[in-house]
Amino acid sequence: MEKIKKVGVRLAGMVRSSMQLRMGLIFFALVLLVVIFAPSLAPFDPYDLGDDLLVPPGTNGHWLGTTNMGQDVLSMIIYGSRASLAIGIVSALISGVIGTLLGAFAGFYGGKVDKVVSEIINIFLMIPTFFLILIIVALFGSSMINVMLVIGLTSWPSNARMMRVQAMSIKERTFVKSAISMGETKRQVLFKYIIPNGLFPIIANTTMGVAKAILTEASLSFLGLGDPNVISWGQMIYEGKQYLATGWWMSTFAGLFIMLIVMIFYMIGDGLNFALNPKMKKI
Amino acid sequence: MKKYLLKRIVTAFGIVLFVILLNYVIIRLAPGDPVRIMAGFDNPSQELMDALTKKYGLDQPLYVQFWRYITTLFKGDMGDSYLYNQPVSSLIFERVGASLLLSGVSAVLAVLIGSTLGLYAGRHHGKALDRTFSGVAYMLNAMPSFWLGIMLILIFASTLKWLPTQGMVNIRKGYTGWAYVVDVLQHMVLPCATLVAVQIPTYFRITKSSVMQVMAEEFVTTFRVTGMSERKIFNKYVLKNALLPIVTVFGINLAYVISGSTLIEIVFSWPGVGVLMYRSISMRDYNLLMGVYLLISISVAFMMIVVDLIYAWLDPRIRYD
Amino acid sequence: MKILEIQDLCVTYIAGEKRIKAVDHVSFAIDEGDSLGIVGESGSGKSTMAMAMLRLLDPRYTEITGAANYRGENLLTVDPRRLSELRWKDIAVVFQKSMNSLSPVHRIGEQFEDIYRVHEPKASKKEIRERVEKLFAMVNLAPRVYNLYPHELSGGMLQRTSIALSLLFHPKILIMDEATTALDVVTQGQILSEIKKLEKSIAVTRMMITHDLSVVATSCQKIIVLYAGQLMEFGYVRDVLANPRHPYTEGLVRSFPSLHGKKEELLSIPGSLPDLSNPPQGCIFAPRCPYATDQCRAHRPEPRHIDDLHVAACWRVKGGIQDA
Repeated sequence: MEKIKKVGVRLAGMVRSSMQLRMGLIFFALVLLVVIFAPSLAPFDPYDLGDDLLVPPGTNGHWLGTTNMGQDVLSMIIYGSRASLAIGIVSALISGVIGTLLGAFAGFYGGKVDKVVSEIINIFLMIPTFFLILIIVALFGSSMINVMLVIGLTSWPSNARMMRVQAMSIKERTFVKSAISMGETKRQVLFKYIIPNGLFPIIANTTMGVAKAILTEASLSFLGLGDPNVISWGQMIYEGKQYLATGWWMSTFAGLFIMLIVMIFYMIGDGLNFALNPKMKKI
Repeated sequence: MKKYLLKRIVTAFGIVLFVILLNYVIIRLAPGDPVRIMAGFDNPSQELMDALTKKYGLDQPLYVQFWRYITTLFKGDMGDSYLYNQPVSSLIFERVGASLLLSGVSAVLAVLIGSTLGLYAGRHHGKALDRTFSGVAYMLNAMPSFWLGIMLILIFASTLKWLPTQGMVNIRKGYTGWAYVVDVLQHMVLPCATLVAVQIPTYFRITKSSVMQVMAEEFVTTFRVTGMSERKIFNKYVLKNALLPIVTVFGINLAYVISGSTLIEIVFSWPGVGVLMYRSISMRDYNLLMGVYLLISISVAFMMIVVDLIYAWLDPRIRYD
Repeated sequence: MKILEIQDLCVTYIAGEKRIKAVDHVSFAIDEGDSLGIVGESGSGKSTMAMAMLRLLDPRYTEITGAANYRGENLLTVDPRRLSELRWKDIAVVFQKSMNSLSPVHRIGEQFEDIYRVHEPKASKKEIRERVEKLFAMVNLAPRVYNLYPHELSGGMLQRTSIALSLLFHPKILIMDEATTALDVVTQGQILSEIKKLEKSIAVTRMMITHDLSVVATSCQKIIVLYAGQLMEFGYVRDVLANPRHPYTEGLVRSFPSLHGKKEELLSIPGSLPDLSNPPQGCIFAPRCPYATDQCRAHRPEPRHIDDLHVAACWRVKGGIQDA
């Protein structure tokens, strides 16, 4: 409890110190509201195939036009926020948890464990992750769960590398040494001191990870590897591409919203980083 | 130096092996019969299945199978594509050139433009132009690259009708000589612009922060206090020091030179490896897909080593042992 | 003959809405051939003072008032071209982190050449090399250092390189900013004695910025004690260290056992530097001073003369000539 409170106090301090972080969080809250209240916000049922086929924005109450199938683009975008956000957040969380645990483990225990983990991290950083994700999704199927899992399972190395460095420096600090000499077990030290104290840069990196995962999902959808049963912004761009000449609105708006949501996460991530090292700004 | 080189080559080799292993594991674990995946489609004939079983030793123990798989690969045999009815390796090599041309040119333009803007912004930090550049870079960095490509098509091709949008040459005209070159260049403008635009933010940011960091270094103060002109300090000393991170990023991008343009190739139907991959995905030609993936991974591992060597040559602080 | 006269120097850092007085109304003068030690804790403004004098602080974030007269020219206002001429030819610096004081990706010789050509644009490579190798010999460096990169040298060798660099044009004033702090005791001792030897062969006025009183004690004639940007005491080293008149100096001297003779008593001064963006009224040292009175807490003491040279900014100094 005490630990959580401390982390909370520190986060509050960060929010105060960075305007960017504040703005990012406000926008994020807005997006969350859209995600939660999608059914009441959307003017139409996004799965409903209406009679207005490919009408331009502003026709018959279709603010952003309709698709070739007669679906309302605005409603699709509102519902699509769910897929983007879910995939982004879940896969970034998977990657954050794996990265934190492996990195902390390697950095704290050192020796052979560290050597093996570092080598795995290095290899992963040198292989083209996007194509690995692509291959796996192509062969294993493109359900949303698969996409989340694969992105999460392939993007942890940057988190692990960060956490490893953190753990290596934190374990030399006095409070950790005294905890060890007071007889706390290694596992207790790892979870009580090393991870909570090294977590902040990982949180910032994971926020950036959400943005990257959203972009990855969009790219997969664009390659036809999105979940066919879910409306996603990437898929909207993919489908709109064929109707570019007659229905530019299909691709354009979906892309704009991807850009916006990615920027929100960049803002939060950059803001966190800034709050962590205000020195960067001074130079 | 030799030892360093050797160590890097061993690492690259290890990564290639790892990628192959990963590839193999994916094939084995994927739902469905591996013979079907290796055949490339769902209903291979009994003869083909028997041939593949024999070729890859699929009736043998796992380690024999893996060994067969590796040795076959190292012979340059990546199997056949059922879609094109050709060996995968020759299909890929036919298309590598187009990909290299597009992403090579874009990579060079991006590093030139991005780092020039970054140099300016780092030197004039906080001024109006710096803020404008930074804002634009932020937005470009958040865009899906393929969407930007689509938007460029919408503006410059569909609406303004200035440039062609599809392919690399106008086949119907059958140009030769200079006309052919001009034709290719025209077809390249939009995909190239897209690739450059999405790569600029990385160079811009890294250059800007690198310049700012170097400018805050003690040695800049030393040179200032010797009375050296700001211009000389910047052009000679800050520049070379700030260059190193740019080289790293450029190198990493070069490593992806075959694969970095995949999505953009698809948007513009540029006849490179990307389009090949796209077709293999949509037609479920797994053999072809795996081949493209292997080739990409190997080229990335290889280029990473080249980058390391260039870096070692540029930065005297890196020790070779 | 006064070579440098600092008059009422104030340096304020501006960070957003905060204004931090890093150097606060400091005045002193040194004569040609002097060696002056400037001591204080980190954050006392000693480096800032030197940086301000050399106009190395970014004018966007600092505000400087007062004067720094070098042979009748105010360094703070002299036009930039003249300043460039004076830099290195007349005033040279050896920086604290010699590790970073040269570009890591250029050879040492190349950097010396470029610096030499700032003031002697027509000098030939050979001429420069000869000059530099002579300097290298003076500071006990092998000629081959010329072709090396900074990272190939040890800390002590780098420091010697920096010293050789500073002597490139026989400067009149040499500022050494914590120049020996990062070195081990043996190397530090060697370099200090080399500097003293050098001074016998070349006429130079040396300013030594350090937090290490023993460095000042062994290598300087005069001393300035700074605290929180203000001058606490100024005088001959033998007077100030043997008979400190300011309580802060007293505390400093007592916290250095080697100077005091007795090893067992290592007294540090309780408390810490005041917040310089919001300094206390009255004497800046009063919150940490064991002798502080109500007068100290209400009014800031001006520096008072004990004799012609010796000055201390403390209300307890009585009987001397009182400066206005």
